[in-house]
Amino acid sequence: MRTYDADVCIVGSGPAGLGAAIELAKHGLHALVVDSNLSAGGQLIKQTHKFFGPTAHRGGVRGMVIADELYAEALDSGVEVWLDSEVYSVSSEMQERMSIEVLRNARRSNSCDTLPIFRCAIKAKYLVIASGASEKPLMFPGWTLPGVMGAGAVQTVMNVERVLPGERFLIVGSGNVGLILAYQLLQAGAKISCVIDSAPTIGGYAVHAGKVQRAGVPLITRCTIVKALGDNQVKGGQIARLDENCQIIESSVETVDVDTICIAVGLKPYARLASLAGCKFGYFPQLGGWVPLHNDRMMTTVENVYVAGDVAGVEEAAIAEDEGRLAGLDIVLKLRPDDVCVRSRIHEVQARLWESRRGPFSSDKHQAKKEIIGHWHGNVAT
Amino acid sequence: MDDDLIVCRCEEVTVGDVKRAIEQGAFDVSGVKRRTRAGMGQCQGRTCETLIRGILASELSKRPDEFRLDTVRPPLSPVTFKTLAGGYDE
Amino acid sequence: MRIVSHPVLQEIEDVKWVEITVDGRKIRAREGESIAAAMLAANIRIARYTSVRSEPRGLFCGIGQCSDCMMIVNGVPNVKTCVTLVADGMVVQTQYGTEGPDYENV
Repeated sequence: MRTYDADVCIVGSGPAGLGAAIELAKHGLHALVVDSNLSAGGQLIKQTHKFFGPTAHRGGVRGMVIADELYAEALDSGVEVWLDSEVYSVSSEMQERMSIEVLRNARRSNSCDTLPIFRCAIKAKYLVIASGASEKPLMFPGWTLPGVMGAGAVQTVMNVERVLPGERFLIVGSGNVGLILAYQLLQAGAKISCVIDSAPTIGGYAVHAGKVQRAGVPLITRCTIVKALGDNQVKGGQIARLDENCQIIESSVETVDVDTICIAVGLKPYARLASLAGCKFGYFPQLGGWVPLHNDRMMTTVENVYVAGDVAGVEEAAIAEDEGRLAGLDIVLKLRPDDVCVRSRIHEVQARLWESRRGPFSSDKHQAKKEIIGHWHGNVAT
Repeated sequence: MDDDLIVCRCEEVTVGDVKRAIEQGAFDVSGVKRRTRAGMGQCQGRTCETLIRGILASELSKRPDEFRLDTVRPPLSPVTFKTLAGGYDE
Repeated sequence: MRIVSHPVLQEIEDVKWVEITVDGRKIRAREGESIAAAMLAANIRIARYTSVRSEPRGLFCGIGQCSDCMMIVNGVPNVKTCVTLVADGMVVQTQYGTEGPDYENV
């Protein structure tokens, strides 16, 4: 099997992975980013809307443009990026190095005879896991029918491939993902029956909810999906209102005329690689569920393995990028412990991270992150 | 929860199958997996593990955080034996 | 349904069309798109039928994780169509169970 040396291997080319890689490369390190997808940028490439925040932090810029800018900055800084490269194993090697085994051309080999799949073992001292998050499932009768799909699947097919997977949509879940999806579907010319949520209040930001409501889409709280209708694919959906005890009000059951039902009930860290690498986890529902423990510099309970972005707790793109930069900078500091500039940049990024989490919508995440760091200290002390 | 509802999409394991596994003594994801094959299919539990932990919590009257993540083993994605044996290596 | 006009997304330049067959039916596909996208554009939403209950499945996660979009591509089963690109002349078949096409009906 071919081997390839790098100082740091970064898994995932979303904002967190690229953020880490850029800091590492700018300080002269060989940063190798691997991503199983055919494009870099993670979830940003599917986002047509403009992101929030100060202009200095990419506020007012569309997600897909941020992805392009970050990727360009990474390449300009000397980051090496392997796309269509899937990590299938990681193990420790001699001399404190890790061996990260990758399948290359895993996706294109089925379509192209001249690009056969092959393995490669990346030997690196440091690993940054920035593998993002995956969608939470929701079970209901008929959920396996063609036409029931994750919100992310709709976004991918619609915004990246320019194909609508249906014509009339029901969205289950009113968090930011569900609301943004609704808006993106309207932009693409789809009809939306309604956005429903079993909770008593809308889950996402008022600004997103407002846009969707002004476009005429009903946002119905205390409402659940009862079943998906159809024999071979979705032909309709049955929804119902819930009472104070979250029980279905039988008289409220109604059928909505839809051909696609989108599940948007939340994201959880996609941390299987961190689990394989031996990282310890903690349960934090505010951040999506089981999260790999890390310190205030993003290092996990495994020496030299870092996490950054949604894999370390589901938050936002700007936070993902900053966590990536923090991980990258901490690695640089390990190699240059006397570098005052790097130390000061670390403090700057840390301050910005805590600042981003200070608003009323993030206080529970802020608290959760503090607890994660506390648990990390508890775990490494033993 | 309708017992005939599919939990593990890959292996077509139902809620009823999982409940029976718990009655037979399964107390974690691994126990349910070994008795029903839930989590052993193509996606290796990526879709159903959260749901299985939810059923365990409900049936055993415990909190979701009392059920740890199931052990992850390589390969992280399906790989043919030929690939692992170096059949495509240069 | 293909999105023809969009307030934000720009037109894809230099579109090259190829042809693939799905269970013998010829459909037009854009070079660079996934098999799943080409099929959805042609309103084909069933990818496979399951082993035990013979139930239809189609695109679910869209990112190559769940395996519901698997089909037989150029004779190879269990190919995730949401992350596999089209190629001119590609032969795509509905998968029955874990391996084969439905030999009785093909």
